[in-house]
Amino acid sequence: MNQGMLGAFKELDATVDAIEALKKERVGEITVYTPTPRHEIEHAVHPPASPVRKFTLIGGLFGACAGYWIAIWCSEYWPLVVGGKAISTWIPYTVFSFELMVLIGGLSTVAGLFINARIPRLTMTVGYDGRFSHGDFGVWVQCAPEKLKEAEAILRRCGAVEVRGAS
Amino acid sequence: MTTTAYSSSEHNMPRPNIPKAGLQLPAVKDYEQVDREILATLHPTKGWFALLAIAIVCLMIGGTAWAYQIHEGLGVAGYTPPVMWGVYIVTFVFWIGIGHAGTLISAILYLFRAGFRTTIYRCAEAMTVFAVMTAGLFPILHLGRPWKFFWLIPYPNWRLIWPQFKSPLVWDVFAISTYLTISTTFLFIGLIPDIATLRDAEKNPIKKSIFSMLSFGWRNSEAEWRHFARAYLFLAAFSTPLVLSVHSVVSFDFAMALVPGWHTTIFAPYFVAGAIYSGMGMVFTIIIPIRKFFKLQHYVTLNHLDAGAKLCLFTSLVVGCAYLVEFFIGWYGSSNVEHAYWWNRVFGQWWWAAWIMLTCNCILPLSLFSQKLRRNPTWLWSLSLFISLGMWFERFVIIVPGLSHEFEPWQWNNYIPTFVDYSILIGSFGWFFMWFLLFIRQLPVLALSEIKEIVPPRLKRVHHHPPEPPGDFEADTPGEFA
Repeated sequence: MNQGMLGAFKELDATVDAIEALKKERVGEITVYTPTPRHEIEHAVHPPASPVRKFTLIGGLFGACAGYWIAIWCSEYWPLVVGGKAISTWIPYTVFSFELMVLIGGLSTVAGLFINARIPRLTMTVGYDGRFSHGDFGVWVQCAPEKLKEAEAILRRCGAVEVRGAS
Repeated sequence: MTTTAYSSSEHNMPRPNIPKAGLQLPAVKDYEQVDREILATLHPTKGWFALLAIAIVCLMIGGTAWAYQIHEGLGVAGYTPPVMWGVYIVTFVFWIGIGHAGTLISAILYLFRAGFRTTIYRCAEAMTVFAVMTAGLFPILHLGRPWKFFWLIPYPNWRLIWPQFKSPLVWDVFAISTYLTISTTFLFIGLIPDIATLRDAEKNPIKKSIFSMLSFGWRNSEAEWRHFARAYLFLAAFSTPLVLSVHSVVSFDFAMALVPGWHTTIFAPYFVAGAIYSGMGMVFTIIIPIRKFFKLQHYVTLNHLDAGAKLCLFTSLVVGCAYLVEFFIGWYGSSNVEHAYWWNRVFGQWWWAAWIMLTCNCILPLSLFSQKLRRNPTWLWSLSLFISLGMWFERFVIIVPGLSHEFEPWQWNNYIPTFVDYSILIGSFGWFFMWFLLFIRQLPVLALSEIKEIVPPRLKRVHHHPPEPPGDFEADTPGEFA
């Protein structure tokens, strides 16, 4: 079901009012568009914590282990034997562990961003408008057909400069 | 320096000089103004074409010299035993150092919530990527048969070249390739919302489809921003120790070797401070003309330059302190070899290079104790050129005198760079500025979405806050070059 109502707002506080009113009335699922992250909107939406940090942690730990592993495995497989010296030694190999921790941890963070934000996205979802990257705020309510009128009324009451239905 | 509470009588006065963490942009009124003024920088001008042509000519000079070197052999580059590291490795370390300020500004200052980074970090990040790309050329340029460069990469192979994982040169390959990857990722991730803005503003269908692909279908939704902010924070947290580690690892290329003047434990912090110092110098070299020619003085304000100059001054003092400690140990230590090396470097064969270094890196930056000079873009830009000169000579003074004055007198020799070295040095600047000029023509040179964060949003209701600061900013001194 991709049916819903889109409200475009010029003002931040009007957007926040609309989000709070729509949440209070349980009209439908809300998506907010904002040209820049605003804590006022985050407080109004009150979303769960981003799971990106789990990707970071797992990637970082994997990278740290992989760094030690590659250095130790190579040293043991192609040993450079020097009298009295260990073939594998953890102190210099910590450099590889650190570098791969950063590399794989960083790249897995990006993977976490892409997976959770659901990008790359091939088409613009219904309800997006180009002005939301420019200066306006947008509130898209995805709801059942019988709730469309109510959503429109709330958006208009809160100060939307344009309200339109889409499906 | 004083902090001032605004009163109604002060409203018509220019904003006072209060460099502080929470820098505001009083002359930027709304989001539309941000897009309009910054996207205007994407239109090419005659000056841009002229600069690009100069950069390409410089690159061609370097390319021709390289072709000549490949044909004739590395002997044309002025190497005479025992000085087998010269201008190429000096320039390699120089560009790696330049690359440090970008991640420092974008990552470390982000974690410290230093507001002055907001308007300069995009330039600094791009500078980092292009500087590391430039540095990466030099190990290849240093090869007699550059087409076999992949033999340098320490991966398991059956060519009977066994990677020595205890060698700092192998650490260096890992450190620099990680740094290039993470810096590029950091730059690109920060660009995604701005590319989406470009996509939405673009009328040309071909460009629009390119921007659509590059923005990955970004929609500015609250959920996207939430994950973006979290990812950006973690990338900054990873990049912060990376900044410190990369130049430490580069310094180990020298510090792990038994060469007089190199084998010292001070090298890691000394190199890191020097890298940040030289990188800040290059940021000034780039950002001051950009703010001038694109008329962005109300984004990159004198407060931003002032704060950056303080960072430059601080790192200059750290570098100066490191020089003094190094000299003192050479003079006071019990090693005759170190003493002879130190004397030869500062008062002997290489005195001229050492004193260029000391003048540019320790004496001239002391001028930044003056607030007036910190807020003078012309002086800052001129000083930034001296900083680059001084930091190139710092690497020269570290590398060449050490190799030319080793333990035994029969090892002592001279080193005279040839036109091939100078041409390739010029070519490296051409390569760097060519990429940078192409970047500023295609993508926003200032971060649109982050600047919008510090611009007050439009509100429906009147909020009773303390008086707003006056809507003006301190202009540059009339008649200044930059």
